[in-house]
Amino acid sequence: MKQRVWDLPTRLVHWLLAALIPFSWWSVKYGHTDWHIWSGIAILTLLLFRLLWGFVGGSTARWSSFVRGPRAVAEYLRGRWVGIGHTPLGALSIVALFLAIGVQVGLGLFSEDEDGIYAGPLSTLVSSDTSDQARDIHELWFYVLLCLILLHVSAILFYRLRGKRLTKVMITGRAELAPGTAPMRAAKWWLAWICLAIALGIARWIVAGAPPFGP
Amino acid sequence: MSKSLVIGVSTLVLCAAVAAGAPLTKQRALAIMHERHEGMEDIGNKNKILRRELTKVSPNLGAVRAAAATIARHSSEASHWFPAGTGPELGKTGARPEIWQRPQDFAGKLRNFQAAARALNAAARAGDLGAIRARYAALGGTCKACHDSYRSEMHH
Repeated sequence: MKQRVWDLPTRLVHWLLAALIPFSWWSVKYGHTDWHIWSGIAILTLLLFRLLWGFVGGSTARWSSFVRGPRAVAEYLRGRWVGIGHTPLGALSIVALFLAIGVQVGLGLFSEDEDGIYAGPLSTLVSSDTSDQARDIHELWFYVLLCLILLHVSAILFYRLRGKRLTKVMITGRAELAPGTAPMRAAKWWLAWICLAIALGIARWIVAGAPPFGP
Repeated sequence: MSKSLVIGVSTLVLCAAVAAGAPLTKQRALAIMHERHEGMEDIGNKNKILRRELTKVSPNLGAVRAAAATIARHSSEASHWFPAGTGPELGKTGARPEIWQRPQDFAGKLRNFQAAARALNAAARAGDLGAIRARYAALGGTCKACHDSYRSEMHH
């Protein structure tokens, strides 16, 4: 019998990020800078949501369940780890990705384009030079993000070659578990709506340039 | 080469040159491209100043006036920034070849920009913030309208 591994909010965040990050790249590459900015704000909202969901969400979504020390990583590498959700090693990749996307969004908020036509909602809080620098780093940071994404996808392919189909589990949220493995403990569904409301509120606040994000 | 052939070819070249309007020497064309680049960059920088000032509750009107005046000045200079032969075929530029393939459309968009720049300058002199903000937004629209079709990315 298949049992729950990932809850719906966690899967939605994952797949929306998987769609919005390529869209962000494409939209700015092909001159749709306004879409690029909105995509970035959507990603910001997802990150805020996921941050909160990591405290109140299903057991496998919680930071406390998967952020582990080096000892746990070593145990995992020796094949002595049992459980569901992010492995101690995979968790490092997840945290790195989350932080890297956060840095990218943060840089974008303060950026302005070369012509001064488009600007992130927080760009007016800093000088024009700082804004231009933020854009330059934003462009370079994309490659850092790209490396982490490639690492992430390679790891999934690596597991696939060893017979583990991780993508399907991230779609359905369910997997065949080894006997005796505890399945995911689900969170109260309405907590997701509260997290979303808070995330939207903060994102909206930043976009509006409201204090302390505005003049 | 016979003398008549030389004369014939020179005549042809001269006729072609006259038909195309005064041809630019390479040196002159590059100088215009340079002036255009510096001018556009300055417009961009002044645009950035304006956005920063105009999002403040009480903008520095002196800074707004100076920036608006500079953009208006560059906008009239821009009438001479795009002669044929100053496109990407000659050197590194953010100007797309479409500028010279759809000259009427381009000229129309350039005129819109010039009118918006003059209107902003006039509003800045008058000093009414509401009008300045409205003119500034309109100016941004004319920048976008032209850049969407005629500006390519140019890293330097």
